[in-house]
Amino acid sequence: MDVILFTLFNGLLYGMLLFMLSSGLTLIFGMMGVLNFAHASFFMLGAYFAYQISKYIGFIPALFIAPLIIAFCGAMVEKYALRRVHKFGHVAELLFTFGLFYIIEELVQMIWGKVPVGYHVPEYMDFTLFSMSGMGYQAYAMFTLVVSIAMFIVLFSVLTKTRAGLIIQAALTHPEIVSSLGHNVPKVFMLVFGLGCALAGLAGVLAGNTLGTEPSMALSLGPIVFVVIVVGGLGSLKGALVASILIGIVQTTAISLDYSINNFIELIGFSVDIESLWRILIDLTISQIAPILPYLLLVLMLIFRPRGLFGNRDV
Amino acid sequence: MGEELQMLNKFFKIFLFTISLVYFSSAIKAEDTIKIAIIEPMSGPLASVGLDLIEGLEFYAERINKAGGVLGGKHIEIVPYDNAMVAEKTIQQLRKVIDEDIRYVTQGVGSNHALNIIKTLGKHNKRNPGKEVIFLNHSAVTTSFTNELCNFYHFRFDANVDMKVAALVSQMTKDPSIKKVYLLNQNYAYGQSFQAAARRLLAERAPQIEIVGDELIVPFGKILDFNPYVSKITSSGADTILTGNWGPDAARLITATANSQLKVKFYTIYAGIPAAMNSMGVKISTFNPIVQVTEAHENDPSHPDWLKEIDKEYMAFSNKSPYADRQRFMIEMFAAAVEKAGTADPTAVAWAMEGMTARGAHGDVYMRPDDHQMHFDMVLSHISTDVEKTFIYNNEDYGMAYVTDGWVDMADITLPTTCKMKRPKK
Repeated sequence: MDVILFTLFNGLLYGMLLFMLSSGLTLIFGMMGVLNFAHASFFMLGAYFAYQISKYIGFIPALFIAPLIIAFCGAMVEKYALRRVHKFGHVAELLFTFGLFYIIEELVQMIWGKVPVGYHVPEYMDFTLFSMSGMGYQAYAMFTLVVSIAMFIVLFSVLTKTRAGLIIQAALTHPEIVSSLGHNVPKVFMLVFGLGCALAGLAGVLAGNTLGTEPSMALSLGPIVFVVIVVGGLGSLKGALVASILIGIVQTTAISLDYSINNFIELIGFSVDIESLWRILIDLTISQIAPILPYLLLVLMLIFRPRGLFGNRDV
Repeated sequence: MGEELQMLNKFFKIFLFTISLVYFSSAIKAEDTIKIAIIEPMSGPLASVGLDLIEGLEFYAERINKAGGVLGGKHIEIVPYDNAMVAEKTIQQLRKVIDEDIRYVTQGVGSNHALNIIKTLGKHNKRNPGKEVIFLNHSAVTTSFTNELCNFYHFRFDANVDMKVAALVSQMTKDPSIKKVYLLNQNYAYGQSFQAAARRLLAERAPQIEIVGDELIVPFGKILDFNPYVSKITSSGADTILTGNWGPDAARLITATANSQLKVKFYTIYAGIPAAMNSMGVKISTFNPIVQVTEAHENDPSHPDWLKEIDKEYMAFSNKSPYADRQRFMIEMFAAAVEKAGTADPTAVAWAMEGMTARGAHGDVYMRPDDHQMHFDMVLSHISTDVEKTFIYNNEDYGMAYVTDGWVDMADITLPTTCKMKRPKK
């Protein structure tokens, strides 16, 4: 019972972190059909801005100010750069965001240096809120969980219940008709791009202090985000949520399973005595490959259901 | 118009003449230096590590030069090359080093790069007698480089993985409260060798300590959430974690452990390096004791006065606290070997360096001739705020440094070698 409780709760915690990272990207990917290679860079910028702002004013102001600055940066990038590249096609847009990734990485190194910065959890949230199954849970981690759930609820209601949300959803699939109805579609695109980047920035503010804030963080966090949005379905917020929690639970469970194919073979009564590459393969435990399982899921999803769990567009 | 053109022509000739004068004069100066090429990451995620090491080497070389250099006034010149942590680039840069007739190369960040250098130089030295290049290995700790891969033209100045684990285990035996240890390492060559050494040395030196867990994780920051591992460690009942982890893999493990309020001791090599300290912050770095093994540290009570002077100079030069004393004794031993050999020819210098001693923070350091592995006493320390000299990095004060737990004698970390070195005829 203890193990199941831990698996579900920790899976939820980790899953919501992944959701925070990827919600912005699925919106942008779904809307513009372009892989924003620099999405994780905005995440990194969010962490660095939060570090800088919280040094002078404090964490809570940073929580609001940093994402706003990132939203502004994202909107400017869309208006003055991405829009011009748009007419050259998806590949051009991808290459542009690829270049943007490197530029942001270099800028960060120039301003804050190449070593990790001391961005830490605020002291008033750095205590154990409660214990479960022998493990303490930090108040800050619960705060992050609450904020990420709130993020989903707010986003979901805005997109499905408000007029602006409906326009955005329509512009996702029928931009020409929406434009002919008099709506400023380019402005919608700019707002969504800014919003997507702001979400990444908010994730950076919340996660930068526990994961470590350094120039290479964008590079290491990029891949898992793509898995989430593809498995969930491009453009689907609901899908991103489900995929994130699914991956969170699968990975948490897998790490506790120290069983290998060899164990299974021995269990059913045989004993294998081969000394070769195969040995390495069958000695591999599930816990050792746990971090790779999401990517396995990605591959399977692309083979059997390319549109993801809740997506409308094929990849 | 013609007159102006003539003036321009004259000016141009004078300009060309001056340029060639400057070029040739600097070319003449160049022959008075002994060049050591350093191939490290100067760009990319590990750039700060590489650049700091290059800076350190330049500092220690400058000290020798200011004191008169070697062989009657020749200066040691450090020539940096960027490998951007790409293995092929290391080989490319090495070829450049050979082409530019530089006879000494040093490297240490990344054992796979060191392996490439050993292999490439092995072939080059065999095929080009009289043009040999020496590899001064300052930090690549894979034990096999001084075992089955040992080479006459390779010298290692850092204790290898087996030696460091031996020091950690020896220190662990001095603590009777350590009864159950959990091994957690990165699943690649270095992590696996740490794991193997840990199992072997625990069995040899600490049979009373029970290994309650042995984990290999996907390395290099891929794992964001360490809570499942903390959960496993908690249920195993371990009181100590023995890990070779470095970088985010170490910082995230320690952070997750502290946030879960799990009380364990960490015995590590690289988990407490200054950059990690700063990233984790004071609370996490001191919640659980984080023990590491180094060749020296500034707050050690037996830190010699002469070394304290050099530390001060280092701080003035780089705005950073010194960390890797092995860079100092590498350059000092190199200079002494050149003097002893009376020439900068690599083969003679190699012969001179075998069996040589140099001054260390706790007695002399000794270059064992059998395998070209440097030996020295090692100090075990844990991170604390209760220190006189805190770590400073680029004028930022980290508020923490190391407090000595104990020294392990050179004799205790002198391990047998399988090296069968082929030496040139004297």
